Amino acid sequence: MTKPTLRWRVLVVLVLAAVLPTVVVGVLAILRARHDVEDEVKRGALAHIRALGLALDDTLQDARRTVELAAAQWADAPDDTRGTQLLLRRLRRDVPIVQSLSIVDPHGALRFGDPVPGVDVDSHSFGGYIGDAVFAGGRPTVHLVVQARGRTGELMGVMVASLDLGFVREILLGARLGTGARLIVVDGTGVPVATSDLLPASPTSLAGKDPAVDRALASTVEGTLSADGVVSAYRNLSSYQSLRGVRWAILHQQPERDAYALARTTTRDTLVIGAVALALALALGAFFATRLTRPLADLARRADAIAAGQIAEGKPIHGPGEIGTLAQSVDEMAKRIAERTELQSALARGDRLASVGVMSAQVAHEINNPLTTVLGYAKFLLEDKPEGHADRSALELIAEEAERMKKIIGGLLEYARAPRPSEPILGSAGAGTSLPETVVRHVGALVAPQLRRARAQLVTTVTATAPIAIEAHALQQVLVNLVQNAAQALVDGGTITVSASPAPGGVATILKVADDGPGIVPADRGKVFDPFYTTKAPGTGTGLGLAVCKHLVATAGGSIEVGDGPNGRGAEFRVVIPNAS
Amino acid sequence: MRIVGLVVVAACSAPQSSPVPIHFLHTFAPAETELVNKTIADRGLAVEASLVPFARGQQVIREILRAGHACPDLIRIDATWLPGLVADNLLAEPPASLAALDWSPEAAQLATIGGALWGVPQTIDGLVVVRDAGTPAPASPSIDDLVAAARAQTGKLAHPLGVRVDAYWLVPWLRAEGAELAPDRIAGGGAARGLADFAALFGQLAPSPPPLGSEAPDELRRWNAHEVAYWVTGPWQLGNLAGRDAIAVTPLAHAPRGGQLLVVPRCAERAADGWHLAEELTSIDVELIFSDAFATVPTRRAALAHATPLALAIAGALAGAEMLPRSPITPLLFDDLNPALAAVVAGDATADEAIEGVRRGWARLAGQR
Repeated sequence: MTKPTLRWRVLVVLVLAAVLPTVVVGVLAILRARHDVEDEVKRGALAHIRALGLALDDTLQDARRTVELAAAQWADAPDDTRGTQLLLRRLRRDVPIVQSLSIVDPHGALRFGDPVPGVDVDSHSFGGYIGDAVFAGGRPTVHLVVQARGRTGELMGVMVASLDLGFVREILLGARLGTGARLIVVDGTGVPVATSDLLPASPTSLAGKDPAVDRALASTVEGTLSADGVVSAYRNLSSYQSLRGVRWAILHQQPERDAYALARTTTRDTLVIGAVALALALALGAFFATRLTRPLADLARRADAIAAGQIAEGKPIHGPGEIGTLAQSVDEMAKRIAERTELQSALARGDRLASVGVMSAQVAHEINNPLTTVLGYAKFLLEDKPEGHADRSALELIAEEAERMKKIIGGLLEYARAPRPSEPILGSAGAGTSLPETVVRHVGALVAPQLRRARAQLVTTVTATAPIAIEAHALQQVLVNLVQNAAQALVDGGTITVSASPAPGGVATILKVADDGPGIVPADRGKVFDPFYTTKAPGTGTGLGLAVCKHLVATAGGSIEVGDGPNGRGAEFRVVIPNAS
Repeated sequence: MRIVGLVVVAACSAPQSSPVPIHFLHTFAPAETELVNKTIADRGLAVEASLVPFARGQQVIREILRAGHACPDLIRIDATWLPGLVADNLLAEPPASLAALDWSPEAAQLATIGGALWGVPQTIDGLVVVRDAGTPAPASPSIDDLVAAARAQTGKLAHPLGVRVDAYWLVPWLRAEGAELAPDRIAGGGAARGLADFAALFGQLAPSPPPLGSEAPDELRRWNAHEVAYWVTGPWQLGNLAGRDAIAVTPLAHAPRGGQLLVVPRCAERAADGWHLAEELTSIDVELIFSDAFATVPTRRAALAHATPLALAIAGALAGAEMLPRSPITPLLFDDLNPALAAVVAGDATADEAIEGVRRGWARLAGQR
């Protein structure tokens, strides 16, 4: 199982730290908002039935007060028949909800008006009352019983009025209701007095059938109830201590799906908007997480590459703030590691060269004695050969080569000893010629056999005349090595050009050895001066030639480099030697 | 797993059964109703409660019980309604176990007619004198000493005495003159003197009467505004007072004592359940809850022992009070006495004229019965 990437971790942190709390808080806020909206719906319904209830009660109480006033007026002259009939007519005219009126004496005998069946005038208490609803001819009515008392408070009779509750239905029908909502007014026994829908009034009690009706009749004030998918607001209109107590209640009922439609819509819209916002936030989070972590990922890859030894400088890594600083530090670290690696390589190479030097010194020491013998015998034989003798030139060549070999061996012995770069060896030439001219001409002779075998033509151009800070044999060795390498590179023959020219400013002399062979590929150019590095077939090269050249040139304070030959063909070695001051 | 599945199926397919609710008709005040409903809900009782306005309670209850239709299983009534309901043979006697509970003597007296208990006493009330703890107590419970103490407060407070234009408040003044709330004890000069003395308080020591129906809030407002020194009232008002610890309660001579009862009608379909609910509503803890909330006097001795100091003070003040005559027509007598009192207080009639009218009305009522 692979470990999750930093980007995913950032996303997970984003989800845990931001999205989850947002979702939790959002859900809680939505629930709270929904609850508040539902409460508002209930409060609105309560306010509605409060106002309607007040209107109903006011209508009824207005009628009561008017009848009470009339009763008191009648009680002052109970035997005035004409005045009483006039009073009853005016009452019927001025109080439209009065259906019928009658006046009974304190014993219950009818004195004026129409008989009102079912009214118990002698069991009243506390002065008078408005009774429960009764259905006369299908219309809900209520009986109002008012005691008619004279000036001293004595009971002179009882005025009984039948009040038509049709006005309740008219008020309910005039109410503006929401979808599916209905209003219902029930009397104290739960019988519907009127409803806002067009159903006919029914004397069947809803008590025990509708829990909201039960709750309304059991309550003394108002409240709400959600049951069976219906939300009900109820208000008991009964007056507890009122002398004129009426037993009834008003209810506002609406299916929950309609009542809470706004809450549901609000919840849904909020959820959708919240989900979209959350998705956008997550997308933005992912985008910024990617942007934020990309430099870190690059850095991680860079660090992995460095750990794997691939220290080569790559594309710069940019990042904001600390990440940018970290990228710079990693780059710096990579550079230092590269330098250290280079240093370690150089040290390792130095150790190898030191070993080679020691070995070379031992070999040179062993060769030096027989070589001295060869040189001695060559010189001894030369003394016996007169000028012009056929063997003399060969013997002189033997002697010179032996001499040169001794110098090379001496050089090897010198190479093996501690370098003295600060002490360049000053070369010298014979009178009338410059050192480069002398050496170049001598090299031609030295490598003539190899040039012939390679069918190569040597072209020399020497324009430099200033003395240079290198010994002649060292310069000769450098040039011989370079020309021999060039000759070996010319498989099918060609031209080797050796030139010596003054450097700009006259502070150094530039020597070039160029050929028109296959050249050296750029990838190998940095390594050809390493000891033991060779592109020749095994057994044909030691890999020491160019290393020795570089060593000799460097010892003289100069430099050597390789590039393309003239016209882009072949190879060209460029040696710069400081002029002797 | 199969058994669990069968159980689940059986549970799901079983018919939904809910307990048949107890029909409870009551006259509790709004705040009391809320507490009653909560008590019932807390105890998990299935009760279908219905409020009857107190003013029409007797009439409505009598009509329902006489009709025998939709008969309640338990009713809360005023103690003055009990004689009429018993006389009409509309009530059932409580089980012996309920009758044998530790009712206080005053509570038992409320529910007893003819030596038998006819209901469960729920609260005891009556008239007492309430004053601020810093106001001097009257020299004695007598009306004369109360009026004298009130006169001593004249000028200090807006209204030294708080009484209501209500025949219930008139009863001590009638009794002080040898009269009583009974047809045969209203004649003679004593009743008129009592009525005249009581009516004379208004405008002198007591505030002018407020509009009909607003007496209770008007009294509370005046007391809370420190306008009244001595307030003649009942425990039904004291539960609403802030700073109940700062008031003192003293008895009023000849004060009426009454209370509320829980009764089960003969027509009740579930009388046993009705009595069970009555027992729950008069259990020690419920009585204490009500006493603490409304300063009602508990009816059980064990509850009284743990009642608040205010409830105990009220109980002590009511110990010497007298119940209204246990007659079926007693509650109807107020219908005539109240208008008469109002007429005298308003100056429309003299006390003699008013009492004469009352006498005729009560004689008629007694004759009808």
